[in-house]
Amino acid sequence: MIIEISHFLSVLATGLFLLVGYFSILTPSSNSSYISNLIVRTYSHGFFFLLSSFLIYVWLAITDNFSVQYIANHSNTALPIFYKISSIWSAHEGSMFLWIVFLSLWGFLFNIRVKNNEVLKPKTMGVISFILVGFLIFLLATSNPFETILPIPPLNGADINPVLQDPALAIHPPTLYLGYVGFVIPFASAIAFLLYGDSKINWEALVKTWSVSAWVFLTVGITLGSWWAYYELGWGGYWFWDPVENVALMPWLAATAFIHSLGVSIKSSQLRIWTILLSILVFSLSLFGAFIVRSGIIDSVHAFANDPDRGLYLLGFIGLIVFTSVFLFILRLSSIQSLSRIKKFSKQSFISINNILFGALIFSVMLGVTYPLIYEFLFDQKISVGAPFYNAIFIPIVALAAIFLFFSVDSKWSRSINFKFISPPISFSILLSLAFTIFVMQYFESHSISILASIFAGSLIIFRYIYEIVNFIFTKKFINPFSVIAHMSLGLLLISISFNSLLSTERALSINLNTTESYKDLKISFKDIGVENNANYDSIKATFLVEDQTGRTFNLKPEKRRYFTRGQITTETAIHITFLRDIYITIGDQLDDGSWIVNIQINYLIRWIWLSALLMGLAGVILVFSNSVKT
Amino acid sequence: MNLLLKLIVFIVPTIFLLLFFMILTNEDTYPGADYDQFQIPEFELKVLDNTMTVNNDLLNGDYVLNVWASWCITCIIEHPYLTSLSKNGIPVIGLNYKDEQEDAIIWLKKYGNPYQTILHDYKGNLALDLGVTGAPETFLISDGRVVAHYQGEVNDQIWNDVFLPIIKDRKMF
Repeated sequence: MIIEISHFLSVLATGLFLLVGYFSILTPSSNSSYISNLIVRTYSHGFFFLLSSFLIYVWLAITDNFSVQYIANHSNTALPIFYKISSIWSAHEGSMFLWIVFLSLWGFLFNIRVKNNEVLKPKTMGVISFILVGFLIFLLATSNPFETILPIPPLNGADINPVLQDPALAIHPPTLYLGYVGFVIPFASAIAFLLYGDSKINWEALVKTWSVSAWVFLTVGITLGSWWAYYELGWGGYWFWDPVENVALMPWLAATAFIHSLGVSIKSSQLRIWTILLSILVFSLSLFGAFIVRSGIIDSVHAFANDPDRGLYLLGFIGLIVFTSVFLFILRLSSIQSLSRIKKFSKQSFISINNILFGALIFSVMLGVTYPLIYEFLFDQKISVGAPFYNAIFIPIVALAAIFLFFSVDSKWSRSINFKFISPPISFSILLSLAFTIFVMQYFESHSISILASIFAGSLIIFRYIYEIVNFIFTKKFINPFSVIAHMSLGLLLISISFNSLLSTERALSINLNTTESYKDLKISFKDIGVENNANYDSIKATFLVEDQTGRTFNLKPEKRRYFTRGQITTETAIHITFLRDIYITIGDQLDDGSWIVNIQINYLIRWIWLSALLMGLAGVILVFSNSVKT
Repeated sequence: MNLLLKLIVFIVPTIFLLLFFMILTNEDTYPGADYDQFQIPEFELKVLDNTMTVNNDLLNGDYVLNVWASWCITCIIEHPYLTSLSKNGIPVIGLNYKDEQEDAIIWLKKYGNPYQTILHDYKGNLALDLGVTGAPETFLISDGRVVAHYQGEVNDQIWNDVFLPIIKDRKMF
């Protein structure tokens, strides 16, 4: 009964969202106060029905209601409550449900935070509602999480995939989803703006805080995913150009360009075409991500169950959204073009360059993701596009973007200035960065142009902003804390990534019990190995005593686990974290002579990579809070 | 300039959408055809009437492995369909799951025996390794690998939707 109530509430919410969409977009008088009140209230009711439906579903999962097929297939009585809840988003149906609930949550927050007399509000709510209806029908018709096993439910449940039994993974998908679907707000407002066709309306200012908030979730979500893959999947790195990582990176790149472009449009009504196109692009790429993951079109750790019907529905719906947007855009293009030209070397000019460079990056990633699919389709041969392709494109373009960023610090809004290349801040940063790069080249004997270029570009940004901060302390020259933190984090990210690829090493050793091997500055003694029994898995646990060059010692205990319910074997890495490097050990198989294969990695500055990404997110948080204090 | 922009924003998504449509509707390139296969774990079980012991090596080739028990109500509902499969020449092997030997034998006398062989998994060890959560569950096995797994009652619709495409794809039986 309770399952049916939950199911019914979702259906009811779909109906209400359909009403909101109808009244706000398809009726001519949607801006009368009566209708707009109706829209606001009906949406809120729809949201509460959908939320209740989801909360009941969470309750069903907590209480092990295995009459629900999805819960029976993905949860287990032996799981702690935390993982019973996160099992909901461990596979397609439940995670789609969560995705939709988050989408409606953003709409709800927009609904209560934005005043009713805001001219774009009714139509924005309408666009959000139509999108919700499309996805709810997708959920209920092709991937219904409420399907039941009758008459006799199984007793125990099939268990969540063991690699997903991890705190980082329990929060990684929700954070990422909040980011993806958050861009529905700028998208829906842009569409509302185009529907109105009145170029005096400043839709960009309305969505600034919302866009930056969504960007923060996307940034943190991607970082959490990167961290999880490193220690739980045992991938041993931070980025693998896995197709699903790429489909998260594309909306992030588009969103970053969008936020920059948005700033210009708010300030001077320029770059409006860019801003509108980017808002459409960000949301379309978020939907494209959902399509790639859920249609089974690619094989990846992230891919969900395969079902061509789902793929076709999603593709059709995305096509509908994209073509409606494109049609509206073409229709209104002439009325939204700004008349004022962008001045040379003004801030606007640098941001347009940034838009172009980011556009090139997005296009390259899109090519990297789709090219193997096209190739296989046309020539029936599998090829893979990997790190060399992406490195060859990303390193020069990002370095170029960093150099433009460096010069843009001096630029002014709407004014062209004469660049003095020997001005103190510029020469100071260039000289220090050159010195640092030459030091790295000599000390680490590195001659890789891509690494040196990245280090140079990264340090240019950092030194330039250090100069700004010092200037601020002594002369109180205004700086934008958001921009300083975000861009310095980018510099830190570039430098961390460069050092990581310059210094990190790994090696597989075969080692006998009670012997010592040395690798680089480390002495590794194999102390112990044994079997441990746990509630839902058995594990082989090894103990290594590691001594580094300073004489410090520590224990590392990697494991191999075998989970009972699925018989799946997972590798648990053991990591020793220090300020500058991680020592990372995984254990492999036992050889015939009794020795064990052990993989050792020394990963330099890998924590700094995630730290810089999180700092970027923090910059966004600062912007959001400083904005909401002002309003 | 404007015309060019209009063309670009229209043509680029059209190309991608058409492309994905063609990939999705083309059965050869659609990678959904790769199933989550795994090797049957090693086991050694007695058959239900205790006459012999069976291990991995004795069960080879292609067959359907059906998990059942006399305490399982849905198994009674499923039973006629398994009997018809068996009559049509599909080898069906039973895995009697957490069941008393006498109860199982009485059950078979009452409803009939569609199984070529029945393994008696009293402790549920093999079932555990296979990822069984209850009864009935049905596995499709090809040369010692599990190529399909269905939880719940198998009937004509499930057989046609879940198992038959794989059987055709792999040219089994």
